[in-house]
Amino acid sequence: MSERFEPKVIAFTCTWCGYPSASLAGVNKVEYPPNVNIVRVMCSGSVDPGVIMDSFEHGVDGVIVFGCLIDNCHYVSGNKKAQERIDALKKLFDVMGLDSRRLRTEWINASERVRFAQATKEFVEQLRDLGPLPISRTKKAKPRTKEQTVTAVKQLIEDTGAFDCVECGKCTTVCPVAKYDTNFAPRTIVLRAMEGIVDNIAKDRDIWTCITCEQCNAMCPYKVDYSGFIRGMREEASIFGGAALCSQGGLIHSTQRIMAKADLKQNRLGWVKEDMKVADKGDVFYFTGCLPHYDCIFFDRQGLRMQDISEGAVRIMNKAGIVPVVSNEEKCCGHDLNWTGDEDDFEKLMEHNIELVKKSGAKKVVFTCPECYRTFKSDYQDLSGDLPFGLIHFSDFVKELADSGQLKLQATKSPTFTFSYHDSCRLGRHSGVYDSPRELAKAFSSAKFVEMQNTRDKAVCCAVSAWSNCNANAKKIQIDRVVEAKKVGADRLLMFCPKCQIHLKCAIQDKVPVDPSLVDVKIEDYTVALARLLGLMPEES
Amino acid sequence: MTGNGSDKDSTTNKIAVFLCGCRNEISGHVDLERLATELKKDPRILSVSIHEALCSKEGQLFLKKEIKSKGFARVAVGACSPNIQGLIVSRSLEEEGMNKYLFEQVNIREQCAWVHRDKAEATKKATRLVRGAVARVDRQSPLEDIEIPIKPSALVIGGGVTGMQSALDIAGAGFKVYLVERTGELGGRTYKLSMTFPTHNCGICCMQYCKECVFTPKIEDVLQNKNIEVLLETEIEDITGGFGSRGVTLRTPTGKKELEVGTIIVATGSKTFDPKRIPELRYGNPDVITTVELEHLLVAQREKGGGLKRPSDGKAPQTVNFVQCVGSRDKTKGNLHCSLVCCTYAIGQARELKRMNPGADVYIHYIDLRGPYRGFEEFYQSAKEEGINFVRGRVSEVVEDKGKMFVRAVDTDLDTLLSIDSDLVVLAVGQEPADGSDKIAKMLHIQTDIDKFMKDINPMFPSEFRRGIYVAGTAQGPRGVRYSIEDAKAAAASAIELMKKGKKEFPRIVAFVEEDRCRGCGRCEKTCEYEAISIVPNEKKGGLVSKIDEVRCEGCGACAVACCNKAITVNNFRLEQVEAMVRAIVEEAESSE
Repeated sequence: MSERFEPKVIAFTCTWCGYPSASLAGVNKVEYPPNVNIVRVMCSGSVDPGVIMDSFEHGVDGVIVFGCLIDNCHYVSGNKKAQERIDALKKLFDVMGLDSRRLRTEWINASERVRFAQATKEFVEQLRDLGPLPISRTKKAKPRTKEQTVTAVKQLIEDTGAFDCVECGKCTTVCPVAKYDTNFAPRTIVLRAMEGIVDNIAKDRDIWTCITCEQCNAMCPYKVDYSGFIRGMREEASIFGGAALCSQGGLIHSTQRIMAKADLKQNRLGWVKEDMKVADKGDVFYFTGCLPHYDCIFFDRQGLRMQDISEGAVRIMNKAGIVPVVSNEEKCCGHDLNWTGDEDDFEKLMEHNIELVKKSGAKKVVFTCPECYRTFKSDYQDLSGDLPFGLIHFSDFVKELADSGQLKLQATKSPTFTFSYHDSCRLGRHSGVYDSPRELAKAFSSAKFVEMQNTRDKAVCCAVSAWSNCNANAKKIQIDRVVEAKKVGADRLLMFCPKCQIHLKCAIQDKVPVDPSLVDVKIEDYTVALARLLGLMPEES
Repeated sequence: MTGNGSDKDSTTNKIAVFLCGCRNEISGHVDLERLATELKKDPRILSVSIHEALCSKEGQLFLKKEIKSKGFARVAVGACSPNIQGLIVSRSLEEEGMNKYLFEQVNIREQCAWVHRDKAEATKKATRLVRGAVARVDRQSPLEDIEIPIKPSALVIGGGVTGMQSALDIAGAGFKVYLVERTGELGGRTYKLSMTFPTHNCGICCMQYCKECVFTPKIEDVLQNKNIEVLLETEIEDITGGFGSRGVTLRTPTGKKELEVGTIIVATGSKTFDPKRIPELRYGNPDVITTVELEHLLVAQREKGGGLKRPSDGKAPQTVNFVQCVGSRDKTKGNLHCSLVCCTYAIGQARELKRMNPGADVYIHYIDLRGPYRGFEEFYQSAKEEGINFVRGRVSEVVEDKGKMFVRAVDTDLDTLLSIDSDLVVLAVGQEPADGSDKIAKMLHIQTDIDKFMKDINPMFPSEFRRGIYVAGTAQGPRGVRYSIEDAKAAAASAIELMKKGKKEFPRIVAFVEEDRCRGCGRCEKTCEYEAISIVPNEKKGGLVSKIDEVRCEGCGACAVACCNKAITVNNFRLEQVEAMVRAIVEEAESSE
């Protein structure tokens, strides 16, 4: 057998032009490499980016999509949509280091058999040059016995204090999900666990319905770590095949798993502009998170530019005379994988990131993203012990700099809007940061700051956690939250969490089940708003 | 849905695998025995059977025997393309009770055996593809076809011979027909011709427009038919709706008119190429005419009597040059496609002209003489005997010099350049789709081919996928009168078959919504090109939810990708099914490395 690398290629072919052109190649005995495996779909426009990423995660070296000639889609515009999506996916591939040349589209007429063969030949040759991807293959998890799981769940119940639950039901009364989903109750899940959920652990949907906002934790009179319990149960369930219902066709989780399993040559620093000062080594490490990825994934959402956040943060730090370390080798903090039961991949990401920060010599890591912050502060330290560097959220950091005089919070404009602040659960209840964002709000001088009815540890979550389990109830919770802001007269709602921003914007962007004027609130990132206020970034056009 | 997800539809039903040797076409290039051995290791598979011809009668009996004795519910097949014989394979199993949605066929013939020379590689690939099929069918759900009601009326777009014939046939079967024509008269281009092949000088009953010609439908018959409503000077403004019930908005001289029909025949016809696009042929000169214009002259002359007179000075032309392939077989200034009929009709016109002006020298300049019709060879021989000169070589230019014209030509058989005086130059213009037909194509979501004519349908598919819309006549490519009419009859027959039943069982490859996951955001509604989705209030749970009109939905899956929650998916093309297929293929590739 030859030692030559044989790339594995999936060709998604549309039923009307792609697939027949392949068949016609056969009829005319036009040869092409056997590396190409044809998967028929109805339309090239139905090929989900999530499926493509999943293919790469599982060992595919290249994906080629064959559809009708660009102005001649059998379904009018499917191929145009596919082209847009794959162009965006190519950008993501380049950011991740998967190399966008592993994706190809070919718009072809059903009769163009020679072109079909030619395109596949060229593609396979190119992939041979690119070589295989260093994504380590998933080893099948060791099979667990029922006894092992029962023991693990028992331990979990003890560790999280679930054993102390007296079934008072207070958790259920404050739970935002239970408000709309009458089948869901935090209390009953604990009950079921103690009574032997293990038999049905893979199929249980309730452990995935929880949004882990910790509203119940905060209210529980017996300090049950309910969210920890859910996290642990998810870990057990996923061993038996249970899984979250992911959005975006699983694209984001696939991306994160690939990052965990491979050391690719990433290209994440496109957001660093020439006039920004960043370094490879230094005292302060700015952890960017998944912002560069989100801009590729959410390319079709208006008004969403997540990399403004990292830009704003660095510019504010530069203004304070700080040149933060920003690393191209950063990987996802692993928050989503941690909360959907994939412990193995989470630990890989954790080890990588800790090592990365250590090598930079940084004494302190600054986070704009509440989830990255919580993950380092609580989850990394739970597993790895105390970290040899400080961890601080951007709001606390800026407050420190302002108090010490290193940063002058001088507004360059006199805003006249009314705004409120949304306590993201990972920043508030999970990490205890409530005050700095409010103190900093004073810098907005002429703007009016108002508090919503549910704030601080009573703040309502943005209803989707770890890109899973978004549904009609989630939307109701999100709409309620924005209505809350409008009710107190806010024009803008500021927050630090990129996900809260994405979710709340999504909820009010398209059709809403209420009068649109009730949700007429601008959702804005706090860091970006602050940077704009200080004249460091232009206003949104 | 992704990750390690166990899909709720994955059952413990075992899968029967059938591999077709296709009478050595597959078995000669793929080691099916080895494939079978590999597959048998999969615990989900009940049995693997190899047969040399599943589509044959014996093959059908074999399949029936298998399902009767083994009682499996799911089937994966490795054979030829599922769009060809796949229907036969699945049908015989369906007849024994298998749910046709629990069936997956992959192509190991055209897409494997016939394109990979190395038998070992081909076998490995076939193993991957069949494994993919097994993984996919394992996750398929049993479904029932949709029953679509078909309205008993038809819309015929275009009042040429094609449209008229369809209308007559459909009306004759007892259904109401709306015949829409944008000009003020029926008959289209055919009725402006002086003759149709193979008649060229019948003269007997030829009342100018060959109305008595047995091949063509009669305008009077159409106008007097009680079931046909003829709407002249009428244009189509919009067509909405779905299979079996289409809402049509017309713009008539007296205002707007709305109709609802069950089937549509598209007979928008063609137009001729505009020779102005090839300036060196000097079409601006009054004595350079198209064959269409020659027809008018021939008709006019037959009435007046005497020989043909040329347009500029009314003199009888001494030398006539026919230039073939004007605008056809031309990558640069015209269309690449051959228009099929020009050689035939040019010879007919040349013979007629020669008959009228026996003293004239008639030349036909051609590249190839293409005569697909029966009787053509005899026709051509007669033309040569009548003294018509055939010159093999493309005319490069019509030159005007001091009031005279000559044609720059070449005789490639004799390798000689020619410069022939010409009193009259006749340009045999090719066919193109009629003006405005692209608008109709867009409205009805009909694909056009590279030559811009409408694609009736991919010929590999069963006719029900036309969803009651049939393209007939020159709208789908150049052809002659007789064949357009036969086309019309075929289209009408399909339409009649559909309307007679009153309903159609249609595959349920359409989108469906999991209401619990739907956020009612409306992105699906925006994405759908067929207006098959609407966002409505959710009666049970409040809020908004997406609702699919299964009749309008064409199953393209655009909504499924637009939905960030995957609350919408297309039956049998769900994310987890496609993913399972891909993962199985890759797993197999890795295990055989």
